[in-house]
Amino acid sequence: MKSKKLTLMQKRALTGLIFISPWLVGFIVFYLVSLIKTIQFSLCKVSVADTGGYALAFKGLSNFKYALFQDADFNQILVNSVIGMLVDMPLIIFFSLFMAILLNQKFKGRTIVRAIFFIPVIMNAGAINDALELARQLIAGGLSAVASDAGTSSSGVNVYFLFDTFSELGIPRGLIDYIIGAVSRSYDIVRASGVQIIIFLAALQSVPGSLYEVSKIEGATAYETFWKVTFPMVTPLILTNVVYTIVDSFVTSDVVDMAYKVAITDHKYGISSAMSLLSTGVVSIVLIIVGILVSRKTFYYN
Amino acid sequence: MARDYMKPRRRFFHKEKQLNRSKAGNTTLFVLMAICGVFMVMPLVLIFNNALKPLDELFIYPPRIFVRNPSITNFSDLFVLMSGSWVPFSRYIFNTLIITGVGTVGHVIFASLAAYPLAKNDFPGKKFLFGMVVLSLMFSYNVTAIPNYMIISWLGINNTYLAVILPAFSYGLGLYLMKQFIEQLPDSLMESARLDGASEYKTFWSIIMPNVKPAWLTLAIFQFQTLWGNTGTSFLRSEQLKPLQYALQQIVAGGAARAGASAAVQFIIAAIPITFFIVCQSNVIETMTTSGMKE
Repeated sequence: MKSKKLTLMQKRALTGLIFISPWLVGFIVFYLVSLIKTIQFSLCKVSVADTGGYALAFKGLSNFKYALFQDADFNQILVNSVIGMLVDMPLIIFFSLFMAILLNQKFKGRTIVRAIFFIPVIMNAGAINDALELARQLIAGGLSAVASDAGTSSSGVNVYFLFDTFSELGIPRGLIDYIIGAVSRSYDIVRASGVQIIIFLAALQSVPGSLYEVSKIEGATAYETFWKVTFPMVTPLILTNVVYTIVDSFVTSDVVDMAYKVAITDHKYGISSAMSLLSTGVVSIVLIIVGILVSRKTFYYN
Repeated sequence: MARDYMKPRRRFFHKEKQLNRSKAGNTTLFVLMAICGVFMVMPLVLIFNNALKPLDELFIYPPRIFVRNPSITNFSDLFVLMSGSWVPFSRYIFNTLIITGVGTVGHVIFASLAAYPLAKNDFPGKKFLFGMVVLSLMFSYNVTAIPNYMIISWLGINNTYLAVILPAFSYGLGLYLMKQFIEQLPDSLMESARLDGASEYKTFWSIIMPNVKPAWLTLAIFQFQTLWGNTGTSFLRSEQLKPLQYALQQIVAGGAARAGASAAVQFIIAAIPITFFIVCQSNVIETMTTSGMKE
C-alpha cells in the first residue's frame, strides 16, 4: 500500500518535472548562465584580448572593495535608490489597489478607462520616448534653442515663484521642499503603478463570485465585504506586487544606470559586475525582509 | 411572484447600495480618478493630435495641443518613406508578427506549464528554484548584456529570430506571476479533476488554464508590450530580420525634417499595444465570477 502511494507521488513529481523542463532549460541557458558569468566577471579583471574575445585575470574581492570604498558615488547612489524605493513602494501599492478596485466596478467604457491607466506602461517603449522627445523639442519652439528658452518662461504660472513667495511669508523651507517633492513624486507613483493595477485587476477578477453572493445573502455591507472578502483574497497578490514594485524600481534605478555606464562607457566590466551584484544583494535583503513582513499577513485560500 | 417582487427592489438599490458611499464621496473619487486619468492620457492625446497635424501646425509657435485642420498627410508621407525603403516594408511587419506572436504565445504557455507544478506540487529544490527566478528578475537587461551576447553566439543563434524569441520564452516574470495566481486556486478543484480520472495534462488545460484566464491574459499583455518595443538591434543584424519597431525608429531619427512622418509613427507605435490591451481586457471581464466552484 505504502509503496503504491509513493509511486503515485513520484509519478506526479515526474509530470511536474516534465511540465517545468522546457521553461527550465531556457531559464538556465539564458538567465542562470549570465548570472554566473556576472559573478565570474566581478571577481576578475576583464580585458579585451588581442586575439578577439576577452581575457580574465583573477583579482579576488578587489572589485567589490573598489566599488564600496574607493568609488566616489556608488555608496551614495545605492543608499538613495534603496530609500527612494522603500518610500515609493507602499504608496504605489495602495494607489494601485485603490485604482484596481475602482476600475473593477461596473460602469460604461471601463475597458477604455483601464487602458488609460495602462498607457504609461506602453509609453515606456524606446521609440515612443524618442518620438516624445522630438515632439517636445518641436513644441518648445521648433529648431531654434532660443525659442525653447522663451517657451519655459512664458508658460503661465511659475510654480517656483509661487513657492518663493511662500518662503518669504515665513513658511519653513523644509516643508516647502517636502511638498514639492511629494507633488513631483506623485506623478511618478501614478506612472509606476500601471502594471500593478493590472495585476490587482486580474486578482480581483479571480475572486470567486460565490463569496460575494454569500456575503450579500448574509447581509454584509460593502465595507465589510471589502475587508472580509476582497482584501483577504487579494493579499497573496499584494506580496506579488510588492516584489514586482521593488524589482521594477530597482531595474530602472540610478544604481543600475551607473553599473551600465561603468561597463559600457568606461569599459570596467569587472567593477560594473561587482556593483550590480552588490546592489542586487542589498535589494534582495530588502526583498526578504519586506517579504517576511507581508507574508505574515497573507491569507491563503486553501 | 417572488421574482416580480425582487426585480424592482434590486434595481432600486442598484444605484445607492452598490458602493455604500455618499454622493460627495463618489464625486471625490471621480475627481481623483479624472485627475490621474488626465495625467496619463495627455501624452496619448498629444500623439494622436500630432499625427493629424499638417506640417505647418507641427511647427507652430506658440504650440497647440489640439489640431486645427486635421489631415492625413503625415500618414501618406510615411507610406512614401516606407515604399522607398531598401527592404520591402512588409518584411518588417512580418518580422514583428513572428517575434511578437511566437514570443508571446510561447512565453504564456511555457511559463504557465512551469508555474503549475511550482505552485501545486512538492519536489526538492522548489524553493531554491523560485528564489532564483526572483533573483533573475533583478538583473536588468543592460547589466547582463555582455554575458547574454556571449550565450547567444555560443548557441549559434545570433542573427536569427531565435535570438530574440528564445530568451523571451523563459523570462522569469511570467513564471512568477502565473505561480502566484495558480497558488490561489483551491486544491479541491484539482482533486476533483483527478478523481474523475483526468491526467495532469488534461487538468492543466481544462481546469487550471480556464480558471486563471485573467492572469495569463495579463501576462500576454506584458509580453506583447515588451516584445513590441524590442528593436532587436544587438542580435538581429541583417536588415531582412529587423522588426518594425527598428524601421520606425529610423524614421523618427530623421529628426525635424521628418517631423510629419514621425508623428504618424508615434501614433502607430502607441496604438497597437493599446488595441491589444483593450482586446485582452474586454475578454477577461466576468469570466471568473461564474466559475464552477461549489463548496
